[in-house]
Amino acid sequence: MAYEIRLSVMSPEVGVSRAKGGPPPGMGGPPPGMPEPKPAPGGVKRPQTLENKTVYLVDTGFGGSYNFMLQLQKWFKEHMPSVTTVRKRKPGNVFMDDNNSLWEEIKEKGNAVVLGVAG
Amino acid sequence: MVKANPRFAPLPFIYTPHPVIGLSPEALDKYIVGNDPATGRPVIEEIIDVLTKPSTGKAAPPPAAAPAPAAAPPPAELAPDTEDNLQRLFYEKGWTDGLPVILPTEERVRAMLAGTSAPPDEVVAEMFSFATGEVLKYTVEHVAVIAVMAGARPEYFPVILATAATRQPSLMPSTTAFEAMLLVNGPIRNEIEMNCGIGAFSAVNMANSVIGRAWTLMSICHGFAKPRNTLWSSQGNNHTYNNMCAGENEERSVWEPFHTGKGFKADESVVSIFRGWAFLNSYGAASKRSLIEELSIQLAAMPPMNSSATIIMDPLVARNLKENEGYQTKADFCRAMSQNVKMPAGVYWNTDHIDMLAASEAYKGVEPYASWKKLPDDALIAPYYNPDNINIIVIGGETSPLWKAADYGYSGSASVDKWRALASDDECADGSCGLPDDVTDADYD
Repeated sequence: MAYEIRLSVMSPEVGVSRAKGGPPPGMGGPPPGMPEPKPAPGGVKRPQTLENKTVYLVDTGFGGSYNFMLQLQKWFKEHMPSVTTVRKRKPGNVFMDDNNSLWEEIKEKGNAVVLGVAG
Repeated sequence: MVKANPRFAPLPFIYTPHPVIGLSPEALDKYIVGNDPATGRPVIEEIIDVLTKPSTGKAAPPPAAAPAPAAAPPPAELAPDTEDNLQRLFYEKGWTDGLPVILPTEERVRAMLAGTSAPPDEVVAEMFSFATGEVLKYTVEHVAVIAVMAGARPEYFPVILATAATRQPSLMPSTTAFEAMLLVNGPIRNEIEMNCGIGAFSAVNMANSVIGRAWTLMSICHGFAKPRNTLWSSQGNNHTYNNMCAGENEERSVWEPFHTGKGFKADESVVSIFRGWAFLNSYGAASKRSLIEELSIQLAAMPPMNSSATIIMDPLVARNLKENEGYQTKADFCRAMSQNVKMPAGVYWNTDHIDMLAASEAYKGVEPYASWKKLPDDALIAPYYNPDNINIIVIGGETSPLWKAADYGYSGSASVDKWRALASDDECADGSCGLPDDVTDADYD
């Protein structure tokens, strides 16, 4: 006996109509009521070298990132001792809260920033 | 996900192997000097390059790939085939939870659609797809296909549509073992013979099994179970087979049903969703200690997010709490639990997901987190500080006063009634609906 499957199966591959768009509130986008963050400016001026520069190592708060940044700091100390590293915890929620004073501090006192880690 | 989200486009991303959490310092050192799995270049070299080379303000282009052939439009129909071949096709396509499905023939889908008065093309909801970064729009007919695949009867369909309308997947794209619970309240529980009593969480009842299964099949077919794309759960979770779907035993509960506590009328039929990570079955009855002592000991082992807990108790437990321990309402009991459960501040803050998700609230000055953060590690806090976030559900068959405790938070409810098939008063006023017509001479022609 042959079965005829006349209707599309509900799947991203077939059947369900798709539209471009961002995630709904609470699922990856900004919190309800908060605007989308502005995109980072293009053509950001960067140092040609990290020698004698200050690099901020920002722990997002995601599990594992504190220890990762500790080891990254250790790497800089051993291999690029002229680099000053500053470890910080990102204020605010790991997934949200992009408007905080840490970015201002880094702009004022730092030359570069590594932000991470999700894992 | 990150690559697909234009919010992150200007940021250069560097990848390490996965996972990062829980590794030794030596292993993390190897990640730092080892290769980025996406590019094959040493991670530390990429970090230094990114920090010292001019930024274009644009994301790095993805690795070059062979140009894809023009995509053919997806087929609207599958070619007729044998049941065995089609079952194999569904399995290979990932349109299953691993169990055989009921093949969604046109006839079966049409029969399912009779379970609702909503038109087949009505959009039930739109949902963000983590797999493709797109918004999936699904109709009543799409959900009917899933309902057939799960093995649902048409009379279950309004409950499945209500679940779909919540826009929430049963599966979450996380490395953790997220699980969800689907609770049904109101008259439809009895109309479709859901099990709210003995063995309500056992694999014995068609409605409980199939409705809960439909939710996960929906999520799977939406793309929420693609390994290393949207399915990252390291161990997985077999609660997701039917999402602990059950009805509340309203008839035997001494307290108000769950849905009326959320503003619905008692005679409304409602689905409610809960989600969390931790789940604990009671070992046995609490005959040496009071129930509140026993439950407090257990909840004290589960540091909660946002003060959330869900306790699913047999009607006997609810009755004992009311008649022997004096809690006249669910709210009375939740207030007492909120005050009774204590945990050292150090235990709370050194729990990884609490540090990740609640510490930020403390840093922002949100109470009580800000005050708790200042306490010494051995100071006791009441982590279930908000009794409104403790959910009490009464389910069970009164063969033993047992319960289940979980860290589930309440994720929302949806009305089932808007999806019901409306009865035709004209035709059914005499109760003859569904009966064969009288035999006439024409039947013998």
